[in-house]
Amino acid sequence: MVMGIVYALVNVLVFVLLAPFYDGVARRLTARVQSRKGPPLRQPYLDILKLLGKENVISAEGWPFRLAPLSAFASILAVIVLVPLGAKANILSHRADVITVVYLLALGGVSVLLGALASRNTFAMIGASREMMTMIMIEPVLAMTLIMTAVKVNSLGLQGAMAGVSASGFGLSTGLMLAVYLLALQAFVAKQPFDIAEAEIEVLEGPFIEYSGPNYALFKLSMMLKQMFYAFLFVSVFLPAAGTGVYPLDILIQLAAILAVFVLIAVVGSTNPRLRIDQAVRYYAVLIFLSLCAVGLALKGL
Amino acid sequence: MWLTSKIKQILMVLKPGVVTLKYPFEPRPVAKDFRGQPAWDHHKCVGCGGCAAHCPARTILVRDICQELRIMIYDGARCAYCGRCADVCPEDAIVMTEQFELATGDRDDITVTMELFMLTCQRCGRCYNMETTNMIDKMELKGFRYDHLEMRAVIPKATERFDAKVLEATERYERPRT
Amino acid sequence: MLAKLCKKAFPRSLWVYHCNSGACNGCDIEILNILTPYYDVERFGIKLVGSPRHADVMLLSGAVTRPTLPLVKKAYEAIPAPKLVFGIGSCAVGGGCWFDTYNVTGGAATAVPVNYYVPGCPPRPEAIIYGVALALGLVDKKAAPVELKQVEFPIDAYERNKAWEERNVIYELLKH
Repeated sequence: MVMGIVYALVNVLVFVLLAPFYDGVARRLTARVQSRKGPPLRQPYLDILKLLGKENVISAEGWPFRLAPLSAFASILAVIVLVPLGAKANILSHRADVITVVYLLALGGVSVLLGALASRNTFAMIGASREMMTMIMIEPVLAMTLIMTAVKVNSLGLQGAMAGVSASGFGLSTGLMLAVYLLALQAFVAKQPFDIAEAEIEVLEGPFIEYSGPNYALFKLSMMLKQMFYAFLFVSVFLPAAGTGVYPLDILIQLAAILAVFVLIAVVGSTNPRLRIDQAVRYYAVLIFLSLCAVGLALKGL
Repeated sequence: MWLTSKIKQILMVLKPGVVTLKYPFEPRPVAKDFRGQPAWDHHKCVGCGGCAAHCPARTILVRDICQELRIMIYDGARCAYCGRCADVCPEDAIVMTEQFELATGDRDDITVTMELFMLTCQRCGRCYNMETTNMIDKMELKGFRYDHLEMRAVIPKATERFDAKVLEATERYERPRT
Repeated sequence: MLAKLCKKAFPRSLWVYHCNSGACNGCDIEILNILTPYYDVERFGIKLVGSPRHADVMLLSGAVTRPTLPLVKKAYEAIPAPKLVFGIGSCAVGGGCWFDTYNVTGGAATAVPVNYYVPGCPPRPEAIIYGVALALGLVDKKAAPVELKQVEFPIDAYERNKAWEERNVIYELLKH
């Protein structure tokens, strides 16, 4: 019981303290691919600290504007507390299952939309509509991933589903889902070629155009946590667990694997152009179809 | 096909490595004939006022303030670094140096003030005084020549000529709401 | 304590909003140049953002023309405190060649309070990086006012004393 609480706290600490580091790694790698010396690795920490020190300009009346960053941060934090890091279930893992995780991640996306629509700015509305389309098309792929692992272990519980390959072996369905997840990874973490809605400050200001200071820091931190969570999901579901049994060592191995996933994200992100929303929607439709095929194969027992 | 082209792209960008200059920590040479801030040599200047007459931004101002003293002020705020003053100077007293690191918090830091000793006439013992001698020189006063130091006070600024109501309306400007 | 950490993090991560108030685009191109790999300014943590609400620094280029005067003021007010303003190029520093035309209000200082000026037409990318480094405290200021005299008169009329100022009021203009 006490260890359960300790595991939950370790989850939060590891994720919140390391997510900006991974984002810094991604930025530095992007810079190196562009042949320039990038920002130092601790740059996102400095960014968030600086944003927390700025004045909070409330430029729209009403509670949705103020609620949106808090609910986005809270939802991703709730997801982080639930997942079993290092293959150890914590005190809250029994109270939630796969559907809860999907719901909470969707809640995070809806908070961004809420904030964007509360801004009463045309650019924010365009960003919000693109974010909506992206969310509608990409949440099914995430749900299919988790449902496929749940089908393979015959239960919706988080501990079994997130264990993925280590619990149920590597089959045809897992292989297909691995490919689909990797193809959709860039859309999950909102980087090129699919950062159409969120980080798209160069082409059209995204849904965060009216946010400043601490609100924006919360949004940025929740984006970084989301990135790290999706990388962690890949590592936990599709890579066999190290199984050393020593909790810190398990965590370290998983963190190293997350670093490798981030390297992949950064390299793919910096060598690809950004797609238009209609091209992206066509791409996602193919991915949804393939993920449904993978779930079908899992149901067949393959 | 797509994958191989991306892999080729990654190998291609790894070849030049990092090309960033370490600029503020290492000095950087300028090109030949680079025009940085102009520098006056007060040993050569004769006070002809040619630079002041030719400056397109009227940034050099000249004035006699007493019998043997002529003041020239170069107010670097508006200088466009075109080099006309250096071109036109008959004594080659102006040199466009290579100094481009001129960032400052205070605009007075980029000014050059020069005080010139004007020679007196051997017959009457006075300096050539523009305003009172003849009609042509009187025409070169305010309104016709801008390079007098007095002009610095009367150079009109658009905000001062505004209608006060128009200026006030700009304070309350609001983006149109559709 | 968090406030102290935030203050220390501020100069290491400046986000820049570029505002063009009627410039010829020469200075804008030089500003874009410093974001390219050759002069990379992101190694200081500086990022270009598209919305003034996310920015800390406003890079103002161009002589502030009459139509853009209220818009520049509005953009300045949209930036959350603490903020800095840089005036880039001769037009922003003092109005450039057009300081006395009908449409120009005379440079950045007529619209917003300016912290640093970077003169040049257009300023070299190195000059803009020098201005940025000066703001961050990495280098010392090199520009200083120069006073040259051909000969020093030992007479009273040469002194800048009260009698002199009463006699020739033009001399006061030198203290502009």
